[in-house]
Amino acid sequence: MRACIGVVILAVFVAGCGGNQQSAPGTVTYNCPANAVEVAVLQKEIPAFAETSGVTIVLHPFSGQEKLYAMMAADKAPDIFYTNSTMRDELAASGRLLDLRTVAAHDPFVGRLWPHVVDGGMAADSGWYSVGNWEFTCGVYYRKDMFDAAGIAYPDSAWTWDEMVAAARALTRRSGPGGAPARYGIYCGSHFVEALEIMNGSRFPRGGTRLELPATSREVYRRYLDLMNDGLMPDLRTVQALGMQAPQLLQTGRVAMLVEAVPHQSLIEALTVPWGVAPLPRFPGKAPAYFRSASGGLSISSHTADARASWKALKWIIGGASTYQPNPVLRDVDFVGGWESRYAALRGSGFREVWDLSLRHNGGDPRFFVRFSSWASAPIMERLQPLLDRVWARELPVDELAAHVDEINRAARTQIETSLRTSVYGSSFRARIETDLQTMEVAPAP
Amino acid sequence: MTSGRDGRTGYLYIAPWLIGFLLLTAGPMCVSLYLSTTSWTMLTPPVQVGFRNYAAILTDDPIFTVSLLNTLVYVVLSVPLGLAVALGLALLLDQKAKGVAIFRTAFFLPSITNMVAVAMLWLWIFNPEYGLLNALLQHVGIAGPLWLQSEVWAKPSLVLMSLWGVGGTMMIFLAALQGIPQELYEAAELDGAGPLSRFIHVTVPMISPAVLFNLVVGIIGTFQVFTQAFVMTGTAQPGTEGGPNNATLFVVLYLYKKAFQEFRMGYASALAWVLFFLILAATVAQMRMAKRWVHYEGGER
Amino acid sequence: MRRMDTSWRATLTMTLRTSLLYGILSVLGAAFTLPLVWMLSVSLQDASGVFAQPFQWIPPSPRWENYIDAVTLFPFSRYLFNTSVITVSVVVLTVLSSSLVAYGFSRLRFRGRDALFAVCLSTMMLPGQVTMIPLYAAYARLGWIDTWYPLIVPAVFGSPFYIFLFRQFFMTIPREYDEAARLDGAGRFRIYWSIILPLARPAVATVALFCFIGAWNDFFNPLIYINSPEKATLTLGLHMLKNQIVGSGSVQWHVLMAAALVVMIPNVIVFIAAQKHFVKGLQMGGLRG
Repeated sequence: MRACIGVVILAVFVAGCGGNQQSAPGTVTYNCPANAVEVAVLQKEIPAFAETSGVTIVLHPFSGQEKLYAMMAADKAPDIFYTNSTMRDELAASGRLLDLRTVAAHDPFVGRLWPHVVDGGMAADSGWYSVGNWEFTCGVYYRKDMFDAAGIAYPDSAWTWDEMVAAARALTRRSGPGGAPARYGIYCGSHFVEALEIMNGSRFPRGGTRLELPATSREVYRRYLDLMNDGLMPDLRTVQALGMQAPQLLQTGRVAMLVEAVPHQSLIEALTVPWGVAPLPRFPGKAPAYFRSASGGLSISSHTADARASWKALKWIIGGASTYQPNPVLRDVDFVGGWESRYAALRGSGFREVWDLSLRHNGGDPRFFVRFSSWASAPIMERLQPLLDRVWARELPVDELAAHVDEINRAARTQIETSLRTSVYGSSFRARIETDLQTMEVAPAP
Repeated sequence: MTSGRDGRTGYLYIAPWLIGFLLLTAGPMCVSLYLSTTSWTMLTPPVQVGFRNYAAILTDDPIFTVSLLNTLVYVVLSVPLGLAVALGLALLLDQKAKGVAIFRTAFFLPSITNMVAVAMLWLWIFNPEYGLLNALLQHVGIAGPLWLQSEVWAKPSLVLMSLWGVGGTMMIFLAALQGIPQELYEAAELDGAGPLSRFIHVTVPMISPAVLFNLVVGIIGTFQVFTQAFVMTGTAQPGTEGGPNNATLFVVLYLYKKAFQEFRMGYASALAWVLFFLILAATVAQMRMAKRWVHYEGGER
Repeated sequence: MRRMDTSWRATLTMTLRTSLLYGILSVLGAAFTLPLVWMLSVSLQDASGVFAQPFQWIPPSPRWENYIDAVTLFPFSRYLFNTSVITVSVVVLTVLSSSLVAYGFSRLRFRGRDALFAVCLSTMMLPGQVTMIPLYAAYARLGWIDTWYPLIVPAVFGSPFYIFLFRQFFMTIPREYDEAARLDGAGRFRIYWSIILPLARPAVATVALFCFIGAWNDFFNPLIYINSPEKATLTLGLHMLKNQIVGSGSVQWHVLMAAALVVMIPNVIVFIAAQKHFVKGLQMGGLRG
């Protein structure tokens, strides 16, 4: 019994440890969204950075955005953390983010960033709240061995959607157990559909407040669904039920082509089969426009004890720490060359062409536009996503989805009006939302 | 009630519970009631919205309606099935035969293992191509469904999994069965009752209190189903739990998402109270109905 | 002749009955154990064996290294330590406080006792979700988020169900023991500590066991209160491992199964060591409810 009570006292003592970590000046906590390997590399370089800059970085493992909110609510926010565009506006409006203009004015580092990276970190009140920490485009990874065996030429930068579908058809093998295809021609996750939309002519204005579903988008949905209808692509639920991640699908040969982010570190590391990558193709006759993601970045807490140290640390993470170098958000680095020397498999894979095309014809990031960045985005997505899921499950025809657009816009507007009444937002944000509401012309209720 | 001779000493002894009740139950209940009438993100102070949260939940939240229906379907499927399977197993184990204890262990063990570990196991069992279930079905020539990723089969999948954990219920039935005096059976046999008649006229009334207990506990527990759905139905991204197409979005999971993913604490508090009244109503209804079918020996309760 | 005939038939029926019973029990027993056997088999496959068709129940070369991978990928010893410290604290605190309160409710007389006991019982019905948000906010204000306090401190105040179990048991202890001790000059606390509690050893064992299983398997509270991986419990750690593995490029199901199996082992050990108390406890809790 005594021993047990001893254990309890010990437990309370241990539980107490780490209860309150008050960061000392010059010490910055970073809620780091990285895998174990990257964390180990960062950890190794932190002492050297501390020596030259006088700023010590303490890594906090990233355990999800929900936990970040919890830490903020408990007044234990890390100094630096990742935010996406929707979350960033919300947090900025609640006064939780540092306006980076206060620490970065006249800093030459800002000039090293691509202008769209700076622009992408601005919130609705024109404050600068996050610095994009990474960028990527997307492409079609393909199995060279399977193309060879089927006698199909490798795709080039000029291939079209129809050529991709034809290749997928030729590569599909229907001999699996239970009649299921043993190998599908292609797999493209639904989160890349928006990339297809901008690549095929849909335009979502930045800061737009209403959901649009133009004919170009509906066309994309139909062609995307055709991949599943024709049995060239496993449907989304099957893929999730299989318990395989996209790289495994390609590695195990369950699919011959895979639409994924470029570059995709864990994919490149996981693939041991011969592979190449080509740009995601457009429908014939569309002007070139490629997806480039710029939807998230690193933010600094407005409760940081030492804003200058946090800014120094943030700059180092983006532009100094070797894990992320060369970083594509910087304009003065050789990104492609750097990555090719890191991963030999990238040389001659098509990576350079895909990357260059996306820079030359930057179609932007759909996530950056209405569906993901304005005040209306959360209320819209909350209603749109379940419907989209049903479209992908082929339970809701695309035209019926279009019929829901007005209803979604109306509901989103009501929700924004309510949240304006019930939330404590900064005045510049309030003004902006009020203006947005006035411009949210929606069709009257039937 | 007499004034009581132990007076203050008595309160001293129950003080741990009393303080805990005030600090961890009664106080938070009042706060929760207040919060349910506010809009609160935890990042900014709460704003009074009156009964708007309740109004929204009851009239203008189709996702809540879905989660409620899911929960009701799950309760209606898993509670009676669980009771039937548990009772069946208990009846088998009640037979006086050698080696029954081994089977008791086999049936009971899954119910006390770690829920998250069990969920990992079943997640893989339900895999449509590499899982145990469809492999077995394939042997008898059935092409199995997608299970957890099928809107139709997702809830039955979770029900099936819950049957694996009926051990606790089974043990309570077993205890009740073993507590039936042998004389009652002998008397019934002398009256010429067959096995079925003995089961209906002796066993059922004698174990009815255990049935009620398991029923009430089962309903309260299944109304709060969370871990399975949370661990098994999402991708790695938070927010995707409860799929496909909200087929496994149960009320508590919805509440968790509102509270700890969206940080809509006021709305979540209101959801908690709605859930509380649902459970209360279900329990009271059970208790009322129980008067008609539960047999208490000597009428004591 | 006739008599022999009936006894022969009786024996035959008995044998048939018994074999039928064993038959059904074996089928059901297999159904209940098959998932675990399969789990063991998956946990010994290599990365391609998991996706092999048809599945090889006995892997050609069992990979025991999967277990080493599992416990390294997932700081098993750290989580085991965390979970043990939390669980032992909760068990000790709960047993002490619940038995003390139960003693108060069963042996002392004071105004409002029965009403308070009814209140105590009725709180068992209250779904935890009702108090969850205010408690979370309160713990956040105390700076207790990401500490073990929210997991351990509530145990100081006992738990209605265990108070109820203890009270039920104490009622069966004859009052003559108390009277005798009182004549010897023992005070209230002494009677509780040196007479009642030792006599209630079976109840202590049962409560400790239930409480152990509850705290050991708890998922929801660690999920909402613990942020740092190094403070996680086994259950939460397993969930984080799953997300980490699923979120990475390749889901290593064999390693995940090995980790899940390792997490199950302590429960199995406790169960085997204390099977009797489980049975007793379930009878106590269930029948008199």
